[in-house]
Amino acid sequence: MDNNSDAVNRRTFLAQAGVGAALLLTAGVNVSGCTSARSISHIQGGMTGANHQAGHRLRAVNELAKLPVSDRLTTDVLIAGGGVAGLSARRWLERLGVVDTLLLEMDGQTGGNAAYGRNSVSAYPYGAHYLPIPDLRNQELLDFLSESKIITGSDAQGLPLYNDYFLCHDPEERLFINGFWQEGLVPEAGVPSSDKDEINRFFRVIDQFKTARGADGLDAFTIPLDRSSSDETFRRLDRVSFAGYLDKEGFTSPYLRWYLAYCCRDDYGATPETTSAWAGIHYFASRKGQAANANASSVLTWPQGNGFLTDQLRAGATSPIRQHLLVYDVQLNDTGVTVMAFDVTTSRNVVIDANKVILATPQFITKHIVQKLAPERSSFNGFRYAPWIVANLTLNGLPQGRGMSLCWDNVLYGASSVGYITANHQDLRDGPHKVITYYKPLTDTEPDVARRQAYSTTYEQWLTQILDELEMAHPGVTPYVSQADIWVWGHGMVAPSPGFVWGPERRQAAQPIANSVFFAHSDLSGVSIFEEAFYQGIRAAREVAETV
Amino acid sequence: MVKEAEPEPTTVRSGLTSLHWLLLVSVFVIATCGLIYELVAGTLASYLLGDSVTQFSTIIGAYLFSMGIGSWLSKYLEGNLLKWFIRIEILVGLVGGCSAPLLFVLFEYVASFRLILYTLVGLTGILVGLEIPLLMRILENQLTFKDLVSRVFTFDYIGALLASLIFPLILIPQLGLIRTSLFFGLLNIGVAAFLLYRFAETRPFRRGFSLILLVSVGLLTTGFIYAERIMTYSEGLAFQDTVIYTKSTPYQRIVLTRNNRELRLYLNGNLQFSSADEYRYHEALVHPAMQARPLARNVLVLGGGDGLAVRELLKYPSVQRVKLVDLDPGMTKLFQQNSTLVQLNNRSLLSPKVQVINNDAFTWIRQDTARYDVIIVDFPDPSNYSIGKLYSTTFYTELEKRLAPDGLAVVQSTSPYVARKSFWCINHTLATVGFQTIPYHTYVPSFGEWGYVLALRNQHWRLDGPLPKGLRYVTPSTIRDMLYFPPDMAEVPTEVNKLNNQVLVQSFEEEWAPYGQ
Repeated sequence: MDNNSDAVNRRTFLAQAGVGAALLLTAGVNVSGCTSARSISHIQGGMTGANHQAGHRLRAVNELAKLPVSDRLTTDVLIAGGGVAGLSARRWLERLGVVDTLLLEMDGQTGGNAAYGRNSVSAYPYGAHYLPIPDLRNQELLDFLSESKIITGSDAQGLPLYNDYFLCHDPEERLFINGFWQEGLVPEAGVPSSDKDEINRFFRVIDQFKTARGADGLDAFTIPLDRSSSDETFRRLDRVSFAGYLDKEGFTSPYLRWYLAYCCRDDYGATPETTSAWAGIHYFASRKGQAANANASSVLTWPQGNGFLTDQLRAGATSPIRQHLLVYDVQLNDTGVTVMAFDVTTSRNVVIDANKVILATPQFITKHIVQKLAPERSSFNGFRYAPWIVANLTLNGLPQGRGMSLCWDNVLYGASSVGYITANHQDLRDGPHKVITYYKPLTDTEPDVARRQAYSTTYEQWLTQILDELEMAHPGVTPYVSQADIWVWGHGMVAPSPGFVWGPERRQAAQPIANSVFFAHSDLSGVSIFEEAFYQGIRAAREVAETV
Repeated sequence: MVKEAEPEPTTVRSGLTSLHWLLLVSVFVIATCGLIYELVAGTLASYLLGDSVTQFSTIIGAYLFSMGIGSWLSKYLEGNLLKWFIRIEILVGLVGGCSAPLLFVLFEYVASFRLILYTLVGLTGILVGLEIPLLMRILENQLTFKDLVSRVFTFDYIGALLASLIFPLILIPQLGLIRTSLFFGLLNIGVAAFLLYRFAETRPFRRGFSLILLVSVGLLTTGFIYAERIMTYSEGLAFQDTVIYTKSTPYQRIVLTRNNRELRLYLNGNLQFSSADEYRYHEALVHPAMQARPLARNVLVLGGGDGLAVRELLKYPSVQRVKLVDLDPGMTKLFQQNSTLVQLNNRSLLSPKVQVINNDAFTWIRQDTARYDVIIVDFPDPSNYSIGKLYSTTFYTELEKRLAPDGLAVVQSTSPYVARKSFWCINHTLATVGFQTIPYHTYVPSFGEWGYVLALRNQHWRLDGPLPKGLRYVTPSTIRDMLYFPPDMAEVPTEVNKLNNQVLVQSFEEEWAPYGQ
C-alpha cells in the first residue's frame, strides 16, 4: 500500500514538475515575445561586471605592445591579479619578510570574485558571499580569521569563538517547494517517505566520507584539497562524474537528485554530469569545522559577502597596489622578469622590472600572459568556467508566501537560478527594505555558448527572466523592486570536471617557470572557494620565498 | 390620516396637500438624521474616551443645548426661507455626515480631542436646531397652528424613535459608525435635493445649488466607499472590543480598542496593555529594579513606546535623564499627541527629562557610548526572528556594555506559565553573558502570569529599597512574593538563545501555539 501511494506521489511530482517546466517556458516566451504584463520601467539600474572588455584585449597582445610606454617600475616581486589568491600571496610574502612587492589589478577594486557594491539600504555581494567555519587543522586560515577579529577568542577546550555578528544568523535557509517555504534546503515538504529514506541514506554515506582516512593516514576529503589523501580508493572517484556515481549507488530520487544538482550548480557552476564525483562528495565531506559557538555546518557571512574578507586580506599587508593595470606579457631577462602592463585608464603601457612574478590570474588569462614564455599552456583544456549572472535587487518590501519567513539563503525548487540571499540578513535592523542577491549559473549549454549568450542578452531581458522567476514564489514582488543591478561573470568559477582535480593539468599549471614565474589561483585547486584561493596564494608565496 | 388634512382657506397654490405632506416626510427624515448624529457623537465619544455614561450624558446635553441655540437663531433668518432651509440641509448633511470619519481621523493628531468633539457636536446641534423652526415657518401659512405643531412634532418624535431603534440594531452592526454617519449625511442632502427640484420658487438658485449638492454627494459617497480605509471594519471583528484606532506603520499594525472599562493596545494583533491593569505590569517591570538603585540618574528604556514604563520611572526624583529608544515613530507620536493616551502615560513622553529616539534598538545600542544606571527592556514578545535577535547573547553583551559598574537591567520575559521554556531561556541567556539574574513574575489579569528577569552586573540587590508614594501594586511584600516560582513555573533546563540558533523564537512559537497566537 505504501509503495503504491509513493508511486502515485512520484507521478504527481512528475506532473507538477511538468507544470513547473511549462510555466518556466511560458515565462521565457514572455521575455522575447509580447511585453510582460508587469511594468519594469520604474526599476533603476543596469548591467555591470568585471572589466571583460579590458580582459579581451589580451587576445591581441601584439596590438597592446605597440602602444607607447608611460612608466617604468621596479619591484622585487610583482603580483598580477588582486583577487583572493593575489592578496593572500601579498600578505604571506610580507610575513615571510619579502616586503618589496607590487600588486597590479585590472579592475577598479581588488577582491576578484568577492566584488561588492553598496547603496543606501545595504552593501551587497556580486560574487562569493560566505565562508564555512574552517577545519581546526587549517591553521593559516584560522590565524587570518583571528587577525581579522572574526575569531575573537577561544573556549576552555581551545575551540575558536567566532564573532556572533559574522556567524550567519538564524533563520538560515529555506526552500520554496510545492507552493510552500520549508525550512532548510534539503527537500522535505510534500516529499514521499521513500525519497526521504534515500536522502537520509545519502547523508549517511557522506558522514562516512567525512571521517574516512586513506592508507596514508590523511583525511579522504579536506580543505585545502591538496592535503587530502592520495589513496586510490577515493581518488578514483575523480574519474567518474557525480551523476554516474549517484546512478551506480542507486541514488535516483528526483528530490535528492535535484538537491545535488542544485549544490553542483551553486558551488561549481556545473551539473552533476559535468562534475567529478570526488568534487561532488568533497563539497559535503570536507566541512569539518569546529567552534565554541557554532557547528560544522555554520557559515560566516557579511552584507558585502566575501568582500569583507578580501578587504581584511588587503589590510593584512602594506605594500603598494595599483589598479586599472592589466598585465599582458612576462619575459625572462638576465636578472629576473620584465612584465608588461596595459593602463586601462590612459591606454599606455607600463613596464615593470621584477625579480619574480606571481601570476594570481585565472588560467584563461594566464595562458595569454605567458603565451610567448610557455606556449604549451594554451593546450590546457581542463580549465572550464561557467558564466554566471548575479543580480542585486533593492526592494521596498517582499511579499511572502506560505511557510518559513525570509532567510539568508532562499532557494526555489526547480528554478533556473540557485536562489537568492538576503544581503542585509546580518544587518540587525528590522525593516521592510531589503537587498537580495540573486545567483544564476548558466549551465544549460557549453560554457562558450552560454558566455556568448550571456553577453548578448539585454538588461531588460535578464531582469524580466529574473522577475518572472521571483514572482512564482513572491507574487506581486515586481512593484517593490526599486533598483536592479545585474553583473555578468563571463568566467564565473572553475568547474571540477571529471578527471580534473587529480589529473595532470592542474599540477602542471601550478609549476613555476625558471624559478621566476609563479602561479596562484583557486582554479589551480579545481574548486573555486575562498579557502583554496587563500591557500594557493600562500603556496605561491612560499615557493617565491624559498628561491630567494 | 395626515394625507386628508383639510386645505387652508388662504391657500394660493394648487397641489399643496401633497407638498406639505412631503415637507412633513422631510421632518421625519431630518428628525431621524438629527438623532442619529447625536447617537454617533455619543457612541464615538465613549469609544474613544471611555466612560460611556459621562460621555453620553454630556454629549446629549451639549447637543440639545446647541439645538436650543439653533432654534433661537432661527428668528434672525429672513427672506427666502426655503432657500435657507435647503442651505441648512446641505450643511447638516455635510457636518453631521462627516462628523464620525472626521473624529476618527483627528483622534490621532489633535492634542485636545474633546475640543474638536464638542465643536462638531455644537455645530451639528445648532444646524439641526434651525431645521424644525424654519420648517414650521415655511408651513405656517398652510396649516393652522395647532395642526402645524401637532404634525411636525409627531413626525419629529416618530423619526427619533426609528433612529433610536435602528441605530443599535441595524446600523452599527451592519454599517459601522463611519458609514452610518455618512449615510445619514446623504439623506439630509437628499432632502435638500428633493425640495430644490420639487418647488418652483427655487428655480433662480437651482443651478448654483445643484453644483453644491453634486459636490456634497460626491464627497459623502467617496467617504462611504473608502470607509474601510478610515477604519477597517472587518478588523473590528477580530477584537472583542470596539476598534477605535488603527494604523499600519512600516513596522507594525497598531490597534487601539475600547470598551466600557478599558482601553487596549494591540501591536500586530498581540495585546500590549489594557488600561485597566497595565499599572500592575508596569509597576512590576520598573520598581523592583528602581527600588534597588534609588539614586539612579541615567535610565535607558528600550521598546516601551507607550511611555508607561517611563511614567513609573519619573516617580523617582533622582532620575535626571531617560532615553527611550523605540523603533516606531508611529507609536511614540501617538503616545505624545493623543489626549487620552497622554493622560494614561501622565505626559511622560513630553517630559523635558525624556528623550525619545526612534531607531532600531540593536543598531542604536551598538553605536551608543553612554552608561546607564538602570536599563528597562520592554520589547514585544519574541514571536518572530527580527524580535528574537533582541533576546540573544549578542544583544545582552551589548546591553552589559552600556550599564554602569553597579547598573542593572530588567527584561520583560513573556509568561513563565504559558511559555515556561521561553522564560527560562531568556534567564539562561542573560546568565550566559555574565549577568547575575533574578527572575520574578506577577499576575496581570489581562495577560495572565507574566515574567521578568533582573540582570545585575554585580550581586548588589535588595527588595526593601525606597518606593515612590502612590503605587497601586508594588510593595516590598509584593516583590518578595514575586520571587517565588511554584512548581508549575519552576526552572527548566534550556538552550541559550543566540543569533545563529534563535531557539527562543522556536520555543515561543511552540508554547504559545495552543493559545491561538
